[in-house]
Amino acid sequence: MERFDCKKYEWVKVDKSKCASCGTCVDYCPRDVLRLDNQGFPYMAYRDDCWYCDVCKFVCQLDAIELETVPYLIR
Amino acid sequence: MAYRKIDADVIIVGGGSAGTFAAIKAKTANPKARVVVLDKGPIETSGAIGRGMDALNIVSVPGYGTPEDVVEALTKVSEGIIDQEAAYVLGEKSIEVIKDLEEFTGREPGDLFPVDENGNYKCNYLHPTQKPLYLAMDGEDIKRALAREVRRLGCTVLDRTATVKLFTADGKVTGVFAFDIRTGEHFLISAPAVVLTAGCAGRFGMPRDGYLSGIYEFPGNTGDGYALAYHAGAEMVNMECFQTNLLMKDFNGPACGYVVIPRGGYGINALGEKYWSHGYWSGDMFLAVWREFTEGRGPVYLKLDHLPEDTIQGLEKILWGTERTVRGQFHKQRNENYRCWDSVEQGMEEITLCSGHSMSGIWVNKDAETSVPGLFAAGDCAAVPHQYLTGAFVFGGIAGKTAAEYAAKAKAPKLDIDVDKLWKELRVPLDRPDGLPVEQVEIKIRGKVSQYMTPPKSDPLYNKMLWWVDRMRREDVPNIKVCDFHDLIKVTEINSMIDCAEMAVKASLYRTESRWGLSHYRLTHPKVDSKWDGKQVVVKKNLATGEMEVSSKDVPKYKWDYPTRLEYEYPELKLEIGKGYVHPDNDYNDPWITEKVSREGMDIPKRMTVKKED
Repeated sequence: MERFDCKKYEWVKVDKSKCASCGTCVDYCPRDVLRLDNQGFPYMAYRDDCWYCDVCKFVCQLDAIELETVPYLIR
Repeated sequence: MAYRKIDADVIIVGGGSAGTFAAIKAKTANPKARVVVLDKGPIETSGAIGRGMDALNIVSVPGYGTPEDVVEALTKVSEGIIDQEAAYVLGEKSIEVIKDLEEFTGREPGDLFPVDENGNYKCNYLHPTQKPLYLAMDGEDIKRALAREVRRLGCTVLDRTATVKLFTADGKVTGVFAFDIRTGEHFLISAPAVVLTAGCAGRFGMPRDGYLSGIYEFPGNTGDGYALAYHAGAEMVNMECFQTNLLMKDFNGPACGYVVIPRGGYGINALGEKYWSHGYWSGDMFLAVWREFTEGRGPVYLKLDHLPEDTIQGLEKILWGTERTVRGQFHKQRNENYRCWDSVEQGMEEITLCSGHSMSGIWVNKDAETSVPGLFAAGDCAAVPHQYLTGAFVFGGIAGKTAAEYAAKAKAPKLDIDVDKLWKELRVPLDRPDGLPVEQVEIKIRGKVSQYMTPPKSDPLYNKMLWWVDRMRREDVPNIKVCDFHDLIKVTEINSMIDCAEMAVKASLYRTESRWGLSHYRLTHPKVDSKWDGKQVVVKKNLATGEMEVSSKDVPKYKWDYPTRLEYEYPELKLEIGKGYVHPDNDYNDPWITEKVSREGMDIPKRMTVKKED
């Protein structure tokens, strides 16, 4: 179950056409922010713990993650 | 849920820069040693340098500087509150760290670090000394290289496993208790030696943007190392010297001074004037920033537009490619451009307790030993002033080696802990049916830290902060409700923040002077007082009474006669604002309200109620 609404507000976005649901981004997030949803795609389960450090995007071998923006409060 | 029992020789709490170096050097010193590394995240990416780092801010390398130069620079910025021998070791061992990092990453001289035409590592000027002690680094991959080495050597790594208790018996370390923040699996780990490398108190003050994770330091660093050491009876020092982070306004990265200044950039105020002689992170520079805002010349900016285009592009590559890689996107969204003088806004965003860029932490000697036998500390939680990342590596390595040697001679401790009872107590916030949302309790304590404790320091506000500390411990913490193990660790983190706040307030009130510029600018004692020269404030828990005790002690005798201060002065604050309007006296005994109370009593009558219209 996803914890938050306002998905548009989230900054870590996954391209579902590229994502292989490998969970690498979930395992290497230093703040344990991400989880795989029931379709196997990563989402921000603990959005406000995110340091927007870019690790999730960096470790994705398939280039499936994009940090579209930075958190609203610091934008 | 059953727990796992592990017998170890060395436990390392925190797998960041210092922790990974500690593990590597412990295992290298004694390959048979059972080394366990615990981290709240995965050690490949956790901590301050998870996404890379762009410099070793202080080193002494052949052809540029000596360990004595490091001692000189740090004696000045610490204003004499320093163990010069530890500072010497920092300089002396920095070249070994450089070689180690090249070996672990498999990168050649000139690639990871720049070299000059003579083959020496090429340093730049930054510190308050005439020698260049700053070494740039293209260190995007160093944390993953360190993690790989830790695993290759056969250390037991418990990722996403947070240490919540440190045990002692007869004054010596005996082990730790930790739990997995996803599964709740919990661990009782015994060892005669524990190395605390758990980072600074970074999630401490509230950033002005209000985003809980929008801070300079890695948000997993919540002062847990400070709190664990304190409750084990270790001496804590310099807790009154705050780090008042000058950042890109609102951004989680530094103001880029150390990358930009050696390449010709500098800070300016809103009038376009250079407002201070240097951008080195020291109390006097923070005081200068505070002055600009106080006298109406804020915001301050980072000036780069005078630099050649290829230099600006080079800076963009470094600044946007390592450490905080979202920086480029952040600037673009604000229309900030390094080619415009008043574009890149800076701000002092939140207060932090840290040793790396400041001085606060667990007291250690040059061998990374704390005042508790078997307890070692390194990195941002260990008080080696202004040691930076270099110090995390140098003293992390020393801590690991010393701990392994200590463990080899020590008896295996017997841990007599009722784990089921302990776990039941720890998970109460998970099991209680309802309570306070954990993020709101965090907002409250961090808000109070910022509102009451941000320098300049006010005695009445500091005393009031102690009231909040006590109240939050009694009323708020015992009522926190969390829904999973991920959030359960936040209860421990909030306790650490509260402990750190109390230590910082009490140490601040004890030091009856101002020192280190803004970092300990105390309005009731707004001058440096020579009676505090060479004296450290010590905070320690009396383990018999449970009370926090504050005292002072002399720093070790200086071996080198360097200046113990920087050239700056505290201002004379004379804010004369004339007189306010004086109206005629009112009657204290207002007959209208007195009569009302006697007629109606204390209840508020319901004079008008909502009627459902048919």
